[in-house]
Amino acid sequence: MRFWKNPEFVRHLRAELRTARAITILGVVLVICVIIGLGCWGSHEAQVEAYRRGNQMFGKPPAEQLAQLESQGSIDEWFAFYRFLIYAQMVVLTFWSLLCCAQSISGEREGKTWDFQRATGLSPAEFLIGKLLGEPIVAYFIVLCCLPITLLAGWLGHAGIGNVVSAYLLILSGSLFLGLAGLWMSSLFESRSRGIGLIGTFGLYLFLAFAVYLIDSSFTGIAAFSPLTGLLVLFRVDIPDRVATIFGKAVPWLVMSLLLYSTFGAWLVLMILRGIKKDFDQIKPLSRWQAIGCAAFLNFTAYALFHPQYFVTLRGWETPLHSDRFASFMVGVNGFVLFAMGLAMISPHDRLKIWWRSRVGVRSLLAEDGPPWPWLVISGITGYALLAWGMFAWKKDVGFDRSALLVGLIQSLAVLAFVTRDILFLQWCRLTRMRAPLLKGMLYLGLYYIAATVLSVVFGISSTVRGREALALSTPAGAFDNATSSYSHILFVGFSIQVALIILLLMATAARLRQGASVFDSSAA
Amino acid sequence: MIQIANLRKEFDELVAVDNLTLTIPSGEIYGLIGPNGAGKTTTIRIACGLLEPTQGEVRVADVDVLRDPERARQHIGYLSDFFSVYEDLKVREYLDYFAHAYKMPDAKIAQRITEVIEQAGLEAKCDSLIQGLSRGMKQRLGIARAMIHCPKVLLLDEPASGLDPKARIELRNLLRSVRDQGATILISSHILTELEGLCTSIGIMEKGRLVRTGRLEDVVSTGAQSRAIRLQWLGDAAAQLHELLSKTVAASEPKLNANDGEFRFSGSDDELAQFLTQIVACGIRVLSFREVRQTVEEMYMKLSTHEVM
Repeated sequence: MRFWKNPEFVRHLRAELRTARAITILGVVLVICVIIGLGCWGSHEAQVEAYRRGNQMFGKPPAEQLAQLESQGSIDEWFAFYRFLIYAQMVVLTFWSLLCCAQSISGEREGKTWDFQRATGLSPAEFLIGKLLGEPIVAYFIVLCCLPITLLAGWLGHAGIGNVVSAYLLILSGSLFLGLAGLWMSSLFESRSRGIGLIGTFGLYLFLAFAVYLIDSSFTGIAAFSPLTGLLVLFRVDIPDRVATIFGKAVPWLVMSLLLYSTFGAWLVLMILRGIKKDFDQIKPLSRWQAIGCAAFLNFTAYALFHPQYFVTLRGWETPLHSDRFASFMVGVNGFVLFAMGLAMISPHDRLKIWWRSRVGVRSLLAEDGPPWPWLVISGITGYALLAWGMFAWKKDVGFDRSALLVGLIQSLAVLAFVTRDILFLQWCRLTRMRAPLLKGMLYLGLYYIAATVLSVVFGISSTVRGREALALSTPAGAFDNATSSYSHILFVGFSIQVALIILLLMATAARLRQGASVFDSSAA
Repeated sequence: MIQIANLRKEFDELVAVDNLTLTIPSGEIYGLIGPNGAGKTTTIRIACGLLEPTQGEVRVADVDVLRDPERARQHIGYLSDFFSVYEDLKVREYLDYFAHAYKMPDAKIAQRITEVIEQAGLEAKCDSLIQGLSRGMKQRLGIARAMIHCPKVLLLDEPASGLDPKARIELRNLLRSVRDQGATILISSHILTELEGLCTSIGIMEKGRLVRTGRLEDVVSTGAQSRAIRLQWLGDAAAQLHELLSKTVAASEPKLNANDGEFRFSGSDDELAQFLTQIVACGIRVLSFREVRQTVEEMYMKLSTHEVM
């Protein structure tokens, strides 16, 4: 179905762009464009005037330079106007897309219209396209109104067709990506947790707004998540002289942005399509194999975007980079990936109950609706395999030695134990009668880690070693500590405690599931 | 038309629907009654394919709703209790949106919209914004939306909640006309009088279980060993009537006033007619003589207090 005939798109078009409203928007856009234009002209004129006075009073800048500045003046004014118009459109389109899409599905749930939409014959893909393009329809209309003025300003400002096309490509792809992210977030929140969804939305926007500063990090390419990075490069604005790289090979920022948007966007599309027509409680963003694939993809992307020359640690720049530092860093990255995948693998309450009743043998542990821990182990193994491969891929820059691999293995095991414990805790929360169990579970985990850190600091006041030991017992941080060798037994005790906690959580989960099964059996009888 | 087999749905530790089996033939208006929390809404949402059951099977128009939900939805029109509409659309635009969403052929949409607008009595408002409609009109628009794609089955969850008496009567008439066009309707409600006179069959749900189901008259008469007869007469005949009743074996529990009264009769229609002839022959001037039918409400109260099992 063509998108302009998509019922969802047409609904938004009709509701939000009635003639009177469209004319008003057009008028407001024209006024704002005129104001921006006058601002650029005024600023440039003030600068030329200042140079003119400087020339008259002090002879600086010289007359030839002033003449050149004056003759170049109109071109610079138009280019500045074009640049500001592009920035304005970027802000409007990206922010509007994210905000509208992030309230789309949760808003429909709250408005009690969502079930009627789900009951129609619209396919998940049609929903996705209709909402993605329809929700921010006003923003697209604003961009459409600005387009002729921007093209004119770009032409008069000698911006070049490539510059204009690249700028619009960045803005459009960025807004589509943000729209997808917003839609996905909105599918995960219902009316009770909508506020948290909105906080997440603003957090995501802030991250993307400031992602441009990641240009100075070990993953330079991540800065390309922000369309602003590409635009700043396009407009030759002063930013640190860095290039986006894939496995060390330089890639244009526009290409990097498009690559990131398309690959991460593809995962978002998959997650949205899987859940958009499902009931809120039944949503599981990824299947188990997809989650493994996603974990592998994220790890692979981390190795691809890594830039050894810009390796930064808490102590500052680190060169030359040692393989054990590299391994520790990547295991840390994989820890976050594992946790995110663990979240995606948590089974809905009733699916897990059905699995419990129908489970037969050990093989059923790997069932789609079974517990997440076997799959976390597979994800962990995949992550470690990719670490070995990544070290091999970067061996010219970071070296490839067995000790680093061994350190990586110990750290991976520690991370896996803590992540498994946390995910099993969240899975157990989901089996309780808590309202918004995952959110509350995450909150408890956050409180736990804050408390563990505070305790370590308190112990650390009397003795640094005590503080480090406390941290090693309760968090995975000990495995990443260089001084671990002096208290490796504590690390082992910490690991054993986590394994014991995992067993306890498994028993608690089984007890809950048994409870449900006994209700089922008595009812069936 | 609707077949539900061994349906079960659990929410955490609550069993919302417990082993429900139900068959609704084509052309029926089936009323699902029960208190709040009985499992009516869950049953309807599962039948629509909006909710996955813990176990069981649902077929609508011979399509498995769980295995082929997209195809099943083409046969289902759905309206829920706390429904909402897109206030910023016009009536015609709203219906056009759902007609396209249900994948109706473009050529048929305009005509079908006109038809349902007419059927729902919204002709005067078809080009108005929905935000200007009354609640009753919005409800009628909801029904129009549910039947825009000519579904074989309408699933209505408490469609009359919050409506005033006039709007309820209009809704009832509208549903009858939809049924006359061949649709099968499953309607849930906890307002029992709402379903009486509308439904051809009913099912009574309690705690997720279907405790009674069948044709309305069968369900209503279930458990009654005798029927209640109400009569009115002229003149002072109470004592004479009391004596006649006590002599008739089939009659019992007489409650007589000065000019009217009620008693229970366990005999056949013939015997009842004979009894009427007898009292008229005795010179009692009978003004009215009729059977008092048990209402759904009375039946439901008996069921919920376990007077009838």
